Amino acid sequence: MNRMIFFILASVLSLSFFTFTEATAEEKIWVSSTNAKLKADHSAASETVTRVAVGSELLVLSFENRWYHVSTVSGKKGWIYRGKVSNHPPDIQEQKKENALGEAFGDLGGSSIRADAADGSRSIRGLSAEAKEYARKSGKLTPSEKALDAVLSSQISNNQIEHFLKAGRIGEYAE
Amino acid sequence: MKIQKQTDRKHCFKKERRNFLKFAGSVLGILMTSPGCFAETVKTISPQDKPEKLQKAAKMARGAGDIVASSTELDYDSEFAIGEKLALEGFRRYGLPVEDQAIQKYVNLVGNAVARNANRPGIPYHFVLVQSPLYNAFSCPGGIIFISSAMMKSMRDESQLAGVLAHEVSHVGHKHALQSVRGAKFFEGVDKITRVMMKDKQREKAFQEMIRSLQTILFDQGLDKNMEFEADLSGMEAAYRTGYDPAGFINVLSMLQIKKDTAQKSGSWFLTHPPLNVRIEKCRDKMKDYPDARDLARVKRRFLSYQRRL
Repeated sequence: MNRMIFFILASVLSLSFFTFTEATAEEKIWVSSTNAKLKADHSAASETVTRVAVGSELLVLSFENRWYHVSTVSGKKGWIYRGKVSNHPPDIQEQKKENALGEAFGDLGGSSIRADAADGSRSIRGLSAEAKEYARKSGKLTPSEKALDAVLSSQISNNQIEHFLKAGRIGEYAE
Repeated sequence: MKIQKQTDRKHCFKKERRNFLKFAGSVLGILMTSPGCFAETVKTISPQDKPEKLQKAAKMARGAGDIVASSTELDYDSEFAIGEKLALEGFRRYGLPVEDQAIQKYVNLVGNAVARNANRPGIPYHFVLVQSPLYNAFSCPGGIIFISSAMMKSMRDESQLAGVLAHEVSHVGHKHALQSVRGAKFFEGVDKITRVMMKDKQREKAFQEMIRSLQTILFDQGLDKNMEFEADLSGMEAAYRTGYDPAGFINVLSMLQIKKDTAQKSGSWFLTHPPLNVRIEKCRDKMKDYPDARDLARVKRRFLSYQRRL
Protein backbone atom coordinates (compact mmCIF):
# COMPACT_ATOMS: atom_id res chain seq x y z
CA MET A 1 0.00 0.00 0.00
CA ASN A 2 2.77 2.40 1.02
CA ARG A 3 4.69 1.40 -2.05
CA MET A 4 1.63 2.22 -4.15
CA ILE A 5 1.28 5.66 -2.58
CA PHE A 6 4.93 6.26 -3.27
CA PHE A 7 4.57 5.44 -6.95
CA ILE A 8 1.38 7.48 -7.34
CA LEU A 9 3.04 10.51 -5.78
CA ALA A 10 6.15 10.05 -7.92
CA SER A 11 4.04 9.73 -11.08
CA VAL A 12 1.97 12.82 -10.29
CA LEU A 13 5.07 14.87 -9.58
CA SER A 14 6.83 13.65 -12.72
CA LEU A 15 3.74 14.33 -14.85
CA SER A 16 3.36 17.85 -13.55
CA PHE A 17 7.06 18.40 -14.04
CA PHE A 18 6.96 17.33 -17.72
CA THR A 19 3.89 19.48 -18.38
CA PHE A 20 5.58 22.44 -16.76
CA THR A 21 8.80 22.07 -18.75
CA GLU A 22 6.93 21.60 -22.07
CA ALA A 23 4.96 24.75 -21.47
CA THR A 24 7.88 26.85 -20.39
CA ALA A 25 10.72 25.54 -22.55
CA GLU A 26 11.85 28.25 -24.90
CA GLU A 27 12.48 26.04 -27.87
CA LYS A 28 14.86 27.25 -30.55
CA ILE A 29 14.64 26.21 -34.18
CA TRP A 30 16.66 27.24 -37.22
CA VAL A 31 15.70 28.09 -40.78
CA SER A 32 16.96 25.25 -42.97
CA SER A 33 15.35 25.95 -46.36
CA THR A 34 15.93 28.67 -48.89
CA ASN A 35 13.22 31.22 -49.66
CA ALA A 36 11.70 30.92 -46.18
CA LYS A 37 9.28 33.63 -45.09
CA LEU A 38 7.54 34.59 -41.88
CA LYS A 39 3.83 35.02 -42.53
CA ALA A 40 1.36 37.11 -40.59
CA ASP A 41 -0.87 34.07 -40.04
CA HIS A 42 -0.54 30.29 -40.36
CA SER A 43 -1.42 30.36 -44.02
CA ALA A 44 0.69 30.76 -47.15
CA ALA A 45 -1.89 33.26 -48.41
CA SER A 46 -1.31 35.65 -45.53
CA GLU A 47 0.96 38.68 -45.69
CA THR A 48 4.73 38.14 -45.57
CA VAL A 49 6.22 39.71 -42.42
CA THR A 50 9.84 39.18 -43.42
CA ARG A 51 12.14 36.81 -45.25
CA VAL A 52 14.46 34.69 -43.14
CA ALA A 53 17.80 33.37 -44.33
CA VAL A 54 19.04 29.80 -43.90
CA GLY A 55 20.61 29.47 -40.46
CA SER A 56 18.47 32.17 -38.82
CA GLU A 57 17.60 31.32 -35.23
CA LEU A 58 13.93 31.43 -34.26
CA LEU A 59 12.22 31.14 -30.89
CA VAL A 60 9.08 29.00 -30.88
CA LEU A 61 6.01 30.64 -29.34
CA SER A 62 3.46 28.02 -30.34
CA PHE A 63 2.59 25.42 -32.96
CA GLU A 64 -0.61 25.03 -34.93
CA ASN A 65 -1.57 22.93 -37.95
CA ARG A 66 1.96 22.40 -39.34
CA TRP A 67 2.95 26.03 -38.72
CA TYR A 68 5.21 27.46 -36.02
CA HIS A 69 4.50 30.81 -34.43
CA VAL A 70 7.99 32.20 -33.90
CA SER A 71 9.98 35.24 -32.95
CA THR A 72 13.22 36.25 -34.68
CA VAL A 73 16.30 37.38 -32.77
CA SER A 74 15.35 40.97 -33.61
CA GLY A 75 11.89 40.43 -32.14
CA LYS A 76 9.79 40.12 -35.32
CA LYS A 77 6.96 37.66 -34.87
CA GLY A 78 5.28 35.53 -37.49
CA TRP A 79 4.39 32.04 -38.70
CA ILE A 80 6.66 29.67 -40.58
CA TYR A 81 5.82 26.34 -42.25
CA ARG A 82 7.32 23.30 -40.48
CA GLY A 83 9.20 22.11 -43.58
CA LYS A 84 11.33 25.25 -43.58
CA VAL A 85 12.91 24.74 -40.18
CA SER A 86 15.07 22.29 -38.31
CA ASN A 87 15.82 21.66 -34.66
CA HIS A 88 19.55 22.10 -35.16
CA PRO A 89 21.54 24.86 -36.82
CA PRO A 90 22.79 24.08 -40.33
CA ASP A 91 26.48 24.14 -41.21
CA ILE A 92 26.75 27.92 -41.16
CA GLN A 93 30.12 28.29 -42.89
CA GLU A 94 29.11 26.07 -45.77
CA GLN A 95 25.66 27.65 -45.99
CA LYS A 96 26.98 31.21 -45.87
CA LYS A 97 29.25 30.60 -48.83
CA GLU A 98 26.49 28.92 -50.79
CA ASN A 99 23.81 31.39 -49.77
CA ALA A 100 26.02 34.18 -51.06
CA LEU A 101 25.98 32.46 -54.41
CA GLY A 102 22.20 32.32 -54.45
CA GLU A 103 21.54 35.76 -52.97
CA ALA A 104 23.76 37.42 -55.54
CA PHE A 105 21.14 36.50 -58.10
CA GLY A 106 18.11 37.78 -56.22
CA ASP A 107 14.90 35.89 -56.89
CA LEU A 108 16.39 33.63 -59.51
CA GLY A 109 16.53 30.06 -58.31
CA GLY A 110 19.37 27.64 -58.75
CA SER A 111 19.36 27.02 -62.46
CA SER A 112 20.30 30.54 -63.43
CA ILE A 113 23.36 30.80 -61.26
CA ARG A 114 25.68 28.33 -62.81
CA ALA A 115 25.05 29.50 -66.33
CA ASP A 116 27.24 32.49 -65.53
CA ALA A 117 29.27 31.45 -62.52
CA ALA A 118 30.51 28.18 -63.97
CA ASP A 119 32.04 29.62 -67.08
CA GLY A 120 35.53 29.74 -65.60
CA SER A 121 35.52 26.15 -64.48
CA ARG A 122 33.93 24.91 -67.68
CA SER A 123 37.23 25.32 -69.42
CA ILE A 124 38.25 22.11 -67.68
CA ARG A 125 36.10 20.11 -70.01
CA GLY A 126 38.37 21.24 -72.83
CA LEU A 127 36.88 24.47 -74.11
CA SER A 128 38.41 27.81 -73.32
CA ALA A 129 36.03 30.76 -73.33
CA GLU A 130 37.31 31.75 -76.77
CA ALA A 131 37.13 28.23 -78.15
CA LYS A 132 33.66 27.83 -76.75
CA GLU A 133 32.49 31.01 -78.42
CA TYR A 134 34.01 29.87 -81.70
CA ALA A 135 32.43 26.42 -81.35
CA ARG A 136 29.06 27.97 -80.60
CA LYS A 137 29.23 30.20 -83.67
CA SER A 138 30.50 27.49 -85.96
CA GLY A 139 28.17 24.85 -84.52
CA LYS A 140 31.02 22.54 -83.61
CA LEU A 141 29.90 21.68 -80.10
CA THR A 142 29.31 17.96 -79.64
CA PRO A 143 25.70 16.88 -78.99
CA SER A 144 26.61 16.26 -75.34
CA GLU A 145 28.11 19.72 -74.96
CA LYS A 146 25.08 21.30 -76.61
CA ALA A 147 22.83 19.33 -74.27
CA LEU A 148 24.80 20.42 -71.22
CA ASP A 149 24.78 24.06 -72.26
CA ALA A 150 21.01 23.90 -72.73
CA VAL A 151 20.54 22.30 -69.31
CA LEU A 152 22.72 24.85 -67.57
CA SER A 153 21.12 27.82 -69.25
CA SER A 154 17.60 26.95 -68.09
CA GLN A 155 16.24 29.20 -65.37
CA ILE A 156 13.78 28.47 -62.59
CA SER A 157 12.89 31.31 -60.23
CA ASN A 158 11.66 31.08 -56.67
CA ASN A 159 8.40 32.66 -57.78
CA GLN A 160 7.90 29.92 -60.34
CA ILE A 161 8.45 27.29 -57.65
CA GLU A 162 5.95 29.03 -55.35
CA HIS A 163 3.32 29.13 -58.10
CA PHE A 164 4.02 25.51 -58.92
CA LEU A 165 3.56 24.42 -55.30
CA LYS A 166 0.44 26.51 -55.00
CA ALA A 167 -1.09 25.00 -58.14
CA GLY A 168 -0.39 21.52 -56.80
CA ARG A 169 -1.61 22.39 -53.28
CA ILE A 170 1.65 21.17 -51.86
CA GLY A 171 3.18 21.85 -48.45
CA GLU A 172 2.21 25.23 -47.06
CA TYR A 173 -0.31 25.59 -49.88
CA ALA A 174 -2.18 22.41 -48.94
CA GLU A 175 -5.78 22.91 -47.87
CA MET B 1 7.42 -11.01 15.80
CA LYS B 2 4.43 -8.92 14.71
CA ILE B 3 6.06 -5.81 16.22
CA GLN B 4 9.28 -6.65 14.44
CA LYS B 5 7.37 -6.84 11.15
CA GLN B 6 5.64 -3.54 11.82
CA THR B 7 8.99 -1.96 12.70
CA ASP B 8 10.48 -3.35 9.50
CA ARG B 9 7.59 -2.00 7.44
CA LYS B 10 7.85 1.39 9.15
CA HIS B 11 11.57 1.36 8.54
CA CYS B 12 11.02 0.38 4.93
CA PHE B 13 8.41 3.12 4.43
CA LYS B 14 10.74 5.69 6.00
CA LYS B 15 13.47 4.54 3.66
CA GLU B 16 11.14 4.79 0.65
CA ARG B 17 9.95 8.22 1.77
CA ARG B 18 13.53 9.37 2.17
CA ASN B 19 14.37 8.08 -1.31
CA PHE B 20 11.27 9.74 -2.72
CA LEU B 21 12.13 13.05 -1.09
CA LYS B 22 15.67 12.77 -2.40
CA PHE B 23 14.28 12.09 -5.88
CA ALA B 24 11.74 14.92 -5.69
CA GLY B 25 14.35 17.27 -4.31
CA SER B 26 16.71 16.48 -7.14
CA VAL B 27 13.99 17.01 -9.72
CA LEU B 28 12.89 20.29 -8.17
CA GLY B 29 16.52 21.37 -7.83
CA ILE B 30 17.13 20.87 -11.51
CA LEU B 31 13.82 22.51 -12.33
CA MET B 32 14.60 25.57 -10.28
CA THR B 33 18.15 25.97 -11.47
CA SER B 34 17.93 25.42 -15.24
CA PRO B 35 14.50 24.42 -16.51
CA GLY B 36 15.34 25.29 -20.08
CA CYS B 37 18.41 23.15 -20.10
CA PHE B 38 16.62 20.21 -18.56
CA ALA B 39 13.72 20.61 -20.95
CA GLU B 40 16.15 20.18 -23.82
CA THR B 41 17.11 16.82 -22.37
CA VAL B 42 13.71 15.42 -21.58
CA LYS B 43 11.27 16.93 -24.01
CA THR B 44 9.28 14.44 -25.98
CA ILE B 45 8.56 14.84 -29.64
CA SER B 46 5.45 14.27 -31.67
CA PRO B 47 6.29 13.96 -35.35
CA GLN B 48 2.77 15.08 -36.15
CA ASP B 49 3.43 18.39 -34.52
CA LYS B 50 7.11 19.10 -34.74
CA PRO B 51 9.89 18.87 -37.30
CA GLU B 52 12.49 17.26 -35.05
CA LYS B 53 11.71 13.88 -36.48
CA LEU B 54 11.98 15.41 -39.90
CA GLN B 55 15.64 15.93 -39.08
CA LYS B 56 16.30 12.43 -37.87
CA ALA B 57 17.64 11.29 -41.22
CA ALA B 58 19.90 14.30 -41.41
CA LYS B 59 21.30 13.46 -37.98
CA MET B 60 21.84 9.88 -39.08
CA ALA B 61 23.53 11.21 -42.17
CA ARG B 62 25.95 13.23 -40.11
CA GLY B 63 26.84 10.21 -38.06
CA ALA B 64 27.09 7.73 -40.89
CA GLY B 65 30.81 7.29 -41.02
CA ASP B 66 31.57 10.97 -41.45
CA ILE B 67 31.47 10.40 -45.14
CA VAL B 68 31.31 14.08 -45.91
CA ALA B 69 34.54 14.92 -44.23
CA SER B 70 37.31 15.07 -46.77
CA SER B 71 35.70 16.58 -49.86
CA THR B 72 34.38 19.64 -48.06
CA GLU B 73 37.75 21.26 -48.72
CA LEU B 74 37.10 21.36 -52.44
CA ASP B 75 35.40 24.60 -53.41
CA TYR B 76 32.00 24.61 -55.08
CA ASP B 77 33.12 25.74 -58.54
CA SER B 78 35.63 22.91 -58.67
CA GLU B 79 33.03 20.42 -57.51
CA PHE B 80 30.71 21.68 -60.21
CA ALA B 81 33.42 21.44 -62.87
CA ILE B 82 33.87 17.75 -62.01
CA GLY B 83 30.09 17.39 -62.24
CA GLU B 84 30.05 18.91 -65.70
CA LYS B 85 32.67 16.48 -66.90
CA LEU B 86 30.57 13.57 -65.65
CA ALA B 87 27.39 15.04 -67.08
CA LEU B 88 28.93 15.05 -70.55
CA GLU B 89 29.67 11.35 -70.15
CA GLY B 90 26.13 10.87 -68.84
CA PHE B 91 24.66 12.25 -72.05
CA ARG B 92 26.95 10.03 -74.11
CA ARG B 93 25.98 6.91 -72.20
CA TYR B 94 22.33 7.43 -71.50
CA GLY B 95 21.06 9.64 -74.27
CA LEU B 96 20.28 13.26 -74.93
CA PRO B 97 17.58 15.37 -73.27
CA VAL B 98 13.96 14.74 -74.21
CA GLU B 99 13.16 17.50 -76.69
CA ASP B 100 10.21 19.01 -74.92
CA GLN B 101 10.86 22.22 -73.01
CA ALA B 102 7.59 21.99 -71.10
CA ILE B 103 8.39 18.61 -69.58
CA GLN B 104 11.99 19.63 -68.86
CA LYS B 105 10.69 22.67 -67.02
CA TYR B 106 8.23 20.50 -65.11
CA VAL B 107 11.01 18.14 -63.96
CA ASN B 108 13.09 21.16 -62.94
CA LEU B 109 10.22 22.63 -60.92
CA VAL B 110 9.65 19.39 -59.01
CA GLY B 111 13.38 18.93 -58.46
CA ASN B 112 14.06 22.46 -57.34
CA ALA B 113 11.04 22.42 -55.04
CA VAL B 114 12.44 19.48 -53.08
CA ALA B 115 16.03 20.75 -53.32
CA ARG B 116 15.09 23.90 -51.40
CA ASN B 117 14.19 21.69 -48.44
CA ALA B 118 17.00 19.17 -48.79
CA ASN B 119 20.27 18.88 -46.88
CA ARG B 120 22.12 21.38 -49.09
CA PRO B 121 19.65 24.03 -50.20
CA GLY B 122 22.13 26.82 -50.98
CA ILE B 123 23.45 25.59 -54.33
CA PRO B 124 21.74 25.59 -57.72
CA TYR B 125 20.37 22.32 -59.09
CA HIS B 126 19.80 21.38 -62.74
CA PHE B 127 17.56 18.47 -63.67
CA VAL B 128 17.40 16.82 -67.05
CA LEU B 129 15.10 14.15 -68.42
CA VAL B 130 17.00 12.04 -70.95
CA GLN B 131 15.59 9.78 -73.61
CA SER B 132 16.58 6.33 -72.42
CA PRO B 133 14.97 2.86 -72.14
CA LEU B 134 16.91 2.20 -68.92
CA TYR B 135 15.39 2.71 -65.49
CA ASN B 136 17.87 5.15 -64.14
CA ALA B 137 18.55 8.36 -62.28
CA PHE B 138 21.88 9.71 -61.10
CA SER B 139 23.48 12.87 -59.87
CA CYS B 140 26.76 14.55 -60.69
CA PRO B 141 28.72 16.55 -58.10
CA GLY B 142 27.64 20.17 -57.96
CA GLY B 143 23.98 19.44 -58.70
CA ILE B 144 23.39 18.21 -62.27
CA ILE B 145 20.79 15.47 -61.98
CA PHE B 146 19.64 13.01 -64.63
CA ILE B 147 16.47 10.95 -64.81
CA SER B 148 15.58 8.63 -67.66
CA SER B 149 12.36 8.74 -69.67
CA ALA B 150 11.76 5.04 -68.85
CA MET B 151 11.87 5.85 -65.15
CA MET B 152 9.39 8.70 -65.47
CA LYS B 153 7.10 6.67 -67.75
CA SER B 154 6.80 3.99 -65.08
CA MET B 155 5.74 6.38 -62.32
CA ARG B 156 2.19 7.09 -61.22
CA ASP B 157 2.25 10.53 -59.62
CA GLU B 158 4.35 13.58 -58.77
CA SER B 159 5.26 12.37 -55.28
CA GLN B 160 7.12 9.47 -56.93
CA LEU B 161 9.07 11.81 -59.19
CA ALA B 162 9.76 14.09 -56.23
CA GLY B 163 11.02 11.10 -54.22
CA VAL B 164 13.53 9.99 -56.85
CA LEU B 165 14.78 13.53 -57.52
CA ALA B 166 15.08 14.17 -53.78
CA HIS B 167 17.14 10.98 -53.46
CA GLU B 168 19.54 12.27 -56.11
CA VAL B 169 19.64 15.76 -54.58
CA SER B 170 20.63 14.13 -51.29
CA HIS B 171 23.59 12.43 -52.94
CA VAL B 172 24.78 15.88 -54.05
CA GLY B 173 24.15 17.33 -50.60
CA HIS B 174 26.18 14.62 -48.90
CA LYS B 175 28.87 14.85 -51.60
CA HIS B 176 28.73 11.08 -51.97
CA ALA B 177 30.37 10.86 -55.38
CA LEU B 178 33.37 12.92 -54.33
CA GLN B 179 33.68 10.97 -51.10
CA SER B 180 33.96 7.82 -53.16
CA VAL B 181 37.17 9.07 -54.75
CA ARG B 182 38.52 11.01 -51.79
CA GLY B 183 41.70 8.95 -51.85
CA ALA B 184 42.46 9.85 -55.47
CA LYS B 185 45.93 11.26 -56.12
CA PHE B 186 44.43 14.30 -57.83
CA PHE B 187 43.00 15.62 -54.55
CA GLU B 188 46.34 15.66 -52.70
CA GLY B 189 46.70 19.25 -51.52
CA VAL B 190 43.94 20.49 -53.81
CA ASP B 191 41.12 22.73 -52.60
CA LYS B 192 40.42 24.48 -55.89
CA ILE B 193 40.77 23.44 -59.50
CA THR B 194 42.27 26.20 -61.62
CA ARG B 195 43.11 26.60 -65.27
CA VAL B 196 46.79 27.04 -64.38
CA MET B 197 46.81 23.84 -62.38
CA MET B 198 45.34 21.90 -65.26
CA LYS B 199 48.21 22.97 -67.50
CA ASP B 200 50.48 20.72 -65.41
CA LYS B 201 50.56 17.41 -67.27
CA GLN B 202 50.90 15.23 -64.17
CA ARG B 203 48.00 17.01 -62.51
CA GLU B 204 45.90 16.81 -65.65
CA LYS B 205 46.60 13.09 -65.88
CA ALA B 206 45.60 12.61 -62.25
CA PHE B 207 42.41 14.58 -62.95
CA GLN B 208 41.48 12.31 -65.87
CA GLU B 209 42.15 9.23 -63.71
CA MET B 210 39.92 10.59 -60.99
CA ILE B 211 37.16 11.32 -63.52
CA ARG B 212 37.42 7.77 -64.90
CA SER B 213 37.09 6.38 -61.38
CA LEU B 214 34.03 8.51 -60.79
CA GLN B 215 32.49 7.34 -64.07
CA THR B 216 32.99 3.73 -63.06
CA ILE B 217 31.40 4.38 -59.69
CA LEU B 218 28.44 6.41 -60.92
CA PHE B 219 27.66 4.54 -64.12
CA ASP B 220 28.84 0.98 -63.57
CA GLN B 221 29.38 -0.18 -60.02
CA GLY B 222 27.35 2.29 -57.99
CA LEU B 223 28.00 4.18 -54.77
CA ASP B 224 28.57 2.51 -51.43
CA LYS B 225 25.34 0.91 -50.22
CA ASN B 226 25.37 2.96 -47.01
CA MET B 227 25.45 6.12 -49.10
CA GLU B 228 22.40 4.85 -50.97
CA PHE B 229 20.55 4.13 -47.74
CA GLU B 230 21.50 7.55 -46.48
CA ALA B 231 20.23 9.22 -49.67
CA ASP B 232 17.01 7.17 -49.45
CA LEU B 233 16.22 8.52 -46.00
CA SER B 234 17.43 12.06 -46.63
CA GLY B 235 15.45 12.15 -49.85
CA MET B 236 12.26 11.01 -48.12
CA GLU B 237 12.87 13.73 -45.58
CA ALA B 238 13.22 16.43 -48.25
CA ALA B 239 10.06 15.23 -50.00
CA TYR B 240 8.15 15.24 -46.72
CA ARG B 241 9.38 18.69 -45.77
CA THR B 242 8.28 20.00 -49.14
CA GLY B 243 4.83 18.53 -48.61
CA TYR B 244 4.93 15.38 -50.78
CA ASP B 245 3.95 11.98 -49.47
CA PRO B 246 7.36 10.36 -48.80
CA ALA B 247 5.83 6.96 -49.57
CA GLY B 248 6.03 8.01 -53.23
CA PHE B 249 9.69 6.99 -53.18
CA ILE B 250 8.87 3.57 -51.74
CA ASN B 251 6.28 3.10 -54.47
CA VAL B 252 8.99 3.69 -57.09
CA LEU B 253 11.23 1.10 -55.42
CA SER B 254 8.33 -1.35 -55.36
CA MET B 255 7.63 -0.68 -59.04
CA LEU B 256 11.29 -1.35 -59.87
CA GLN B 257 11.19 -4.57 -57.91
CA ILE B 258 8.33 -5.78 -60.08
CA LYS B 259 10.19 -4.84 -63.25
CA LYS B 260 13.63 -6.09 -62.28
CA ASP B 261 13.29 -9.52 -63.88
CA THR B 262 12.45 -8.16 -67.31
CA ALA B 263 14.29 -4.82 -67.36
CA GLN B 264 17.68 -4.21 -68.96
CA LYS B 265 20.17 -4.27 -66.11
CA SER B 266 23.38 -2.86 -67.57
CA GLY B 267 23.88 0.75 -66.52
CA SER B 268 20.56 0.90 -64.68
CA TRP B 269 19.51 1.44 -61.06
CA PHE B 270 19.33 -2.34 -60.68
CA LEU B 271 23.10 -2.71 -60.90
CA THR B 272 24.21 0.55 -59.31
CA HIS B 273 22.00 0.41 -56.22
CA PRO B 274 21.66 -2.02 -53.28
CA PRO B 275 18.99 -4.76 -53.33
CA LEU B 276 15.52 -3.26 -53.56
CA ASN B 277 13.98 -5.38 -50.83
CA VAL B 278 16.49 -4.10 -48.28
CA ARG B 279 15.93 -0.50 -49.30
CA ILE B 280 12.15 -0.87 -49.24
CA GLU B 281 12.32 -2.34 -45.74
CA LYS B 282 14.45 0.53 -44.44
CA CYS B 283 12.24 3.15 -46.07
CA ARG B 284 9.07 1.55 -44.72
CA ASP B 285 10.59 1.66 -41.29
CA LYS B 286 11.26 5.37 -41.77
CA MET B 287 7.58 5.95 -42.55
CA LYS B 288 6.90 5.60 -38.82
CA ASP B 289 8.25 9.13 -38.53
CA TYR B 290 5.61 10.48 -40.89
CA PRO B 291 2.21 9.71 -39.37
CA ASP B 292 0.47 12.35 -41.48
CA ALA B 293 2.02 11.16 -44.76
CA ARG B 294 -1.34 10.05 -46.14
CA ASP B 295 -2.60 13.63 -45.97
CA LEU B 296 0.29 14.94 -48.04
CA ALA B 297 0.40 15.70 -51.76
CA ARG B 298 0.69 13.06 -54.49
CA VAL B 299 -0.47 15.24 -57.42
CA LYS B 300 -1.54 12.60 -59.88
CA ARG B 301 -3.40 14.58 -62.54
CA ARG B 302 -0.67 17.15 -63.23
CA PHE B 303 1.97 14.43 -63.35
CA LEU B 304 0.02 12.32 -65.83
CA SER B 305 -0.58 15.32 -68.08
CA TYR B 306 3.20 15.66 -68.49
CA GLN B 307 3.91 11.96 -68.56
CA ARG B 308 1.57 11.59 -71.55
CA ARG B 309 3.92 13.84 -73.52
CA LEU B 310 6.67 11.21 -73.39
